[in-house]
Amino acid sequence: MRARTLVLGLGNPILSDDAVGVRVAEAVRAALGPDPGVDVEEASVGGLSLMERMIGYDRVILIDALTAGLGAPGSVHRLDLADLHALSPTEHSGSPHDATLTTALAVGHRMRLPLPREISIFAVEVENVIDFGEEPTPAVARAIPQAVAAVLAELGRAAAPPPCGAPH
Amino acid sequence: MKHIRIDPITRLEGHGKIEIFLNDEGDVANAYFVIPELRGFERFCVGRPASEMPRITNRICGVCPEAHHMAATKALDVLYHVDPPPAAKKLRELFYSAFFVADHTTHFYALGGPDFVVGPDAPPAERNILGVVRKVGLEIGRQVIDARMRNHHVIKMLGGRGVHPETGLAGGWSKAVSEEERQEIEQIARRNVEFGEFSLKVFADIVLGNKEYVDMVLSDAYTHRTYSMGTVDAKNQVNFYDGMIRVVDPDGAEFAKYPPRDYAKHVAEHVEPWTYLKFPFLKAVGWKGLVDGKESGVYTATPLSRLNVTDGMATPKAQAAYEKMYETLGSKRLGARYQPVHHRLATHWARLVELLYAGERMLELATDPEITEPNVRAPVTATPDEGVGCVEAPRGTLTHHYWTDERGILTKVNLIVGTTNNYAPIAMSVKKAAQSLIQKGTVVTNGLLNRVEMAFRAYDPCFGCATHSLPGQMPLELVIYDAQRREIERLAQYLP
Repeated sequence: MRARTLVLGLGNPILSDDAVGVRVAEAVRAALGPDPGVDVEEASVGGLSLMERMIGYDRVILIDALTAGLGAPGSVHRLDLADLHALSPTEHSGSPHDATLTTALAVGHRMRLPLPREISIFAVEVENVIDFGEEPTPAVARAIPQAVAAVLAELGRAAAPPPCGAPH
Repeated sequence: MKHIRIDPITRLEGHGKIEIFLNDEGDVANAYFVIPELRGFERFCVGRPASEMPRITNRICGVCPEAHHMAATKALDVLYHVDPPPAAKKLRELFYSAFFVADHTTHFYALGGPDFVVGPDAPPAERNILGVVRKVGLEIGRQVIDARMRNHHVIKMLGGRGVHPETGLAGGWSKAVSEEERQEIEQIARRNVEFGEFSLKVFADIVLGNKEYVDMVLSDAYTHRTYSMGTVDAKNQVNFYDGMIRVVDPDGAEFAKYPPRDYAKHVAEHVEPWTYLKFPFLKAVGWKGLVDGKESGVYTATPLSRLNVTDGMATPKAQAAYEKMYETLGSKRLGARYQPVHHRLATHWARLVELLYAGERMLELATDPEITEPNVRAPVTATPDEGVGCVEAPRGTLTHHYWTDERGILTKVNLIVGTTNNYAPIAMSVKKAAQSLIQKGTVVTNGLLNRVEMAFRAYDPCFGCATHSLPGQMPLELVIYDAQRREIERLAQYLP
């Protein structure tokens, strides 16, 4: 039977803080152990490819780096798609090869693809996404356990203190 | 002097910006395309085993990891002095053809196409793939998503995992293909050929059927006469995976043809103080500035330049599409090839000819009796020293050059990525489009600025790749400065 929930860590594992989503996902996978109801994966894709990865799941939890200045580096935020759209108001993509996630999901819905009913996003405000390196900056490294706890709590697997509020 | 800034550019990876400097009369004095670069890649690599490079370099960029994987794998063949078995070379090219179909499809429908399909002056919120689907219909959206998904499936099947492949090794490929897999890939390739034909028909109906768009493609604003570069096989025909680098001059005469390892004898890099990127140019001609013509060493490496250097396409349907393109654009035959086309917006057309070729080539390879041979790796026995690997990435010739010690530990790394080749022509195209479209008394509207952006979008540029942090992109911002560089107006047009 296919898992109903996908936890997807986004980012480039060798681009300093950009890797935070991948690191959090790895830790979530380790904490969960084998779980037939939850797939935990990592990817460095956006837009159409990201939408395509979500096909067939009921629920998706994304983990990504955030450069929106919503808080100090290392602050963890729980966002939904409306928050993402507010942060990223155009329908253009940050990639030459893609649409934004909002646009990609709209395309997917128009084509009646089986997309998740629920998408939540855990975002860690980051400092350095321009230098290649395998280590995150100290503030972002310290945020990883908090982000892991928040994702586990979202999955109903463990109690965790709530992350900072979403921007409104 | 007035100063218009478009920062950052929509739909462009990284955080590039265009700066347009106006003179007191309101005409364009200069236009610059400025890109901050990701830092420290060479430092990151030195001291690691070269054998890790196919998996490290595919993390440089979130757009074309498959191209970096392949260039790195080929550099390892040379570094370790090992020749892969024929089935391994064919598997690599099969994989690479699937990647080209997926990549060119996404570029045309999600990036370049919206400018034509939805219209260059349409509101920015409409000029995307959703706008294409709204305008042309759901069926196109289905075709695009299907094409992407089936080819990503092939990439995963052959590359070991999706997006970031891991099967390339010195001397071959880590995994043979079964007969069952081959049959599935053959069916996918057949659908790719049909999809390539369908896409050329979409282009013919929407672009060629619209005089305004044709005039725009042919206009001087989007024309630059430069040298063209591309990889060709033994018959001097385009090949994405392997061959010699061929350069033709602006009139179409062969200027140079060399093996990839000789790249440094032919290409040098010019440095400008206002950007981190270097401008590659043809050494034998010399750097004469950001100018057109036979006397200027500026060259282009794009789908259009690849078609400009080729003696025809190696597959029949792509050959017919290639002939139609050059004859429609009025090029004369020069033996097996045509006079180069220099209309930069025709690059979108060339990309679709290549899409059809990639589908046909994939089908040839999927039906090659040798493709299921189990021997896909030659043993590595020689001591490593230095290796250059080269492929055609969708957006230009991609070169990886590694130096190691006798243990295969990297001591030096040099990469010339696809887009870097085109940095000079992109800067020239931006300036020229700005000069033609922003003139005395002209109101700077969003559609107008989009046409300036269209000038570089044709090159499918990709700079400072691989950062995907949220929000992923920013609103288009436009800043106008007066002659004293004081900000007099700021437009952030898509903020809610």
